Amino acid sequence: MATSAVARDVVFALRQKIAKIEGTLPELLVSPSDNRPPAGVLVRRNGVASARDFFLPTGVERLDEALGGGLPKAALTEIHGTETRNAGAAAGLALCLVSLMLKASQKPGALVLWIGTAEIFREAGLPYAAGLDWLFGLAPERLLFAEAPKPADALWIAEEAARIGELAAVIVELRGNPRSLDLTATRRLHRRAQDAGRPVLLLRQSAESEATAAPVRLIASPAPASLRHTVAGPLAGSIGPPAISVEIGKSRTALPGKFILEWNPDAHTLEERRHSPEDRVAVVSPSRSRADPQAAVGTVVAFRPAAEPAPGGEPSGEQYPAHRRPRRAG
Amino acid sequence: MGIAEARAMHPSIDVVEADPEADRRLLESLADWCDRYTPLVALDGENGLFLDITGCAHLFGGEKALLADLMARFFHQGFDVRAGLASTPGTAWAAARFAAGQIIAPGSERNFLSRLPLSALRIDARTKASLESVGLRTVGAIMDGPRAPLVRRFGAELVERLDQALGRLEEAISPRLPVAPLSVERHLADPLSLLDDIERLVGLLAATLKVDLERREEGARALELLLFRVDGVVSRITVGASRPIREPSLVRKLFHERLTALGETIDAGCGFDLVRLSAFSTACFDARQGDLAGEIEDTGEELAIFADRVTARLGEAAILEPAPAASHLPERAAAVVSYAQEEDRKAFAQHGKAKSGATSRPARLERPIRLFRSPEPIEVPLTEVPDGPPQNFRWRRAMHRVARAEGPERIAPEWWREETDAPTRDYYRVEDADGRRYWLYRQGLYGAQAPAPRWFLHGVFA
Repeated sequence: MATSAVARDVVFALRQKIAKIEGTLPELLVSPSDNRPPAGVLVRRNGVASARDFFLPTGVERLDEALGGGLPKAALTEIHGTETRNAGAAAGLALCLVSLMLKASQKPGALVLWIGTAEIFREAGLPYAAGLDWLFGLAPERLLFAEAPKPADALWIAEEAARIGELAAVIVELRGNPRSLDLTATRRLHRRAQDAGRPVLLLRQSAESEATAAPVRLIASPAPASLRHTVAGPLAGSIGPPAISVEIGKSRTALPGKFILEWNPDAHTLEERRHSPEDRVAVVSPSRSRADPQAAVGTVVAFRPAAEPAPGGEPSGEQYPAHRRPRRAG
Repeated sequence: MGIAEARAMHPSIDVVEADPEADRRLLESLADWCDRYTPLVALDGENGLFLDITGCAHLFGGEKALLADLMARFFHQGFDVRAGLASTPGTAWAAARFAAGQIIAPGSERNFLSRLPLSALRIDARTKASLESVGLRTVGAIMDGPRAPLVRRFGAELVERLDQALGRLEEAISPRLPVAPLSVERHLADPLSLLDDIERLVGLLAATLKVDLERREEGARALELLLFRVDGVVSRITVGASRPIREPSLVRKLFHERLTALGETIDAGCGFDLVRLSAFSTACFDARQGDLAGEIEDTGEELAIFADRVTARLGEAAILEPAPAASHLPERAAAVVSYAQEEDRKAFAQHGKAKSGATSRPARLERPIRLFRSPEPIEVPLTEVPDGPPQNFRWRRAMHRVARAEGPERIAPEWWREETDAPTRDYYRVEDADGRRYWLYRQGLYGAQAPAPRWFLHGVFA
């Protein structure tokens, strides 16, 4: 058995070396000789073994699993918004993650810097301190905004900001696919984030997916919110906590996934909404005899449209199945 | 003489329209250039400059050498300049006009002026004409005459001008630019033209400035770099610091950012032969004791420097900070102000209140995460009931169908601030069919006021 143990050790050492050289995937390195549960030693790019806190668990099991443990903390993360008018959803996702990071870091007084170009702040609005306070618990004193005239300036500010210890997280928001934001630029940002050990979130509104050095790319789009929960049950017609539809565009594990995440503004946690928004209550009963007058405008998402009634005003078989029909006596 | 007559006499004459604005600009740029001799430069009418060289002459090897240097440099720039030097502005004015290049020694103003015509006294043409009509043609003629009749007949100004020229009455020139409390400069025998060299020189100048600042126990809040080009063009480059600074490396960093941002707009031309660094706003600098490792406790220093660098490169409004205020109006409740402004406000609040009452935090209301700088008008074709939320709205040319709505939340204007009675706003939180959540408001009420209410989109929710 001794030989095989030595061989396994050699294999283990080699794997460690490879991980150091490649260094990209933080690999769980457990010596096979001991049977203890994995202590969780991870090797980072520069060969520095770090503890488990390499990842930020989002709190959503399936998402964490698909990302291979969570969101890498000391890295560049791209968040894409599909359209500029979806800026609320993309910004919301970024803020959810920042809020989780701040909660996990427990560093009091750390600031968050939000960098954007003048264009995106004009098109999608400035981050509003009162709203961030209400939803994400980010006090106005902890926020700083930087408005750059051009994307290149925004990237310069981001690079400079990434090394400042007083900033807990840096959000860079850009619109479209500027030429200055190429693979090299993302690699520079990623390196800065790695060196500083702090996250840099690259928020890209209405941008095409390009080659990026960021290990994770999430695509955020809006999702209908669930209803407000009251003691008496869901409140019809109300708008509950924010919901964001998140799709994994790129990750180390390359597992696909699409989730509808809900932010809990009281506990400051992310949760996944498994059920489709079926707890929506139909406020008005569907019209039986005629087609839905609203149907031409768009699809009705609140409820299934009533089945096509049979000619002559008879209820369709689907609506009144035979076995539910009251039995005729006699 | 009209142009036609002039042309008849000299057919090759070139006619150029008078441009007082351009003349003024030229005079100002000359005044800028004269900063190299003294910081106290004032404009004098349309064609003159006053330079107060008190205490500056020895830097150029005496008054005579200064005057010769100034004349030579102006000559090489292509200007025909007449200069006079005296111990009072009035006499210097007269010397420049009637005895160019002369230096009037203190005490000999009387002798010098007595020979000159009345125009040497800076008096208006009417006074001069009426004096001449009674046979007083030189300054000497009125200098010894009785004062009371002169004042009675020709006004107080005449005697005042005379006293100013003779030094009986103090006259100060008002410099056109504020004078920096501290400045250091270097004359270069070999003009500099590379930005890197200028940056290096800034570091050296800042090291000299640091000694002065340390002596005064101050730090610089605003710094100005003056680059005097050989051919007379002066570039002024200013940077600000949110906290007082005096480390040469920091000063150099700030100027590095500023110079990088300016880039090609600084035209070095044939090079700069004088570089001056002045601190025109200083503030008390409290030196802090570092710990044993030499590390100064983290007090936002790094962030302040970062903010200064960004503002040096991109302008004052590049770094913004929310300033919460006790107001119900969303745009006023969390307005953003520039970082330096907010730092000042915070420092002021700390001094004033001594931590007693922190700024009252606004109530945690449901507010959007992004707010538009100015609310965007939307078209609302239909609402459920007159005061209800819209059923659909057009924003940026796209139709959005409202699936759900919450509200209204009525926010009345702050009558104690606004002059006119602005209409009230009814805010609705709406969600469209795709799940985007918006914050809309209706300005005014249906039927209540004469103009129909308008709808705006003010923010977006997560």
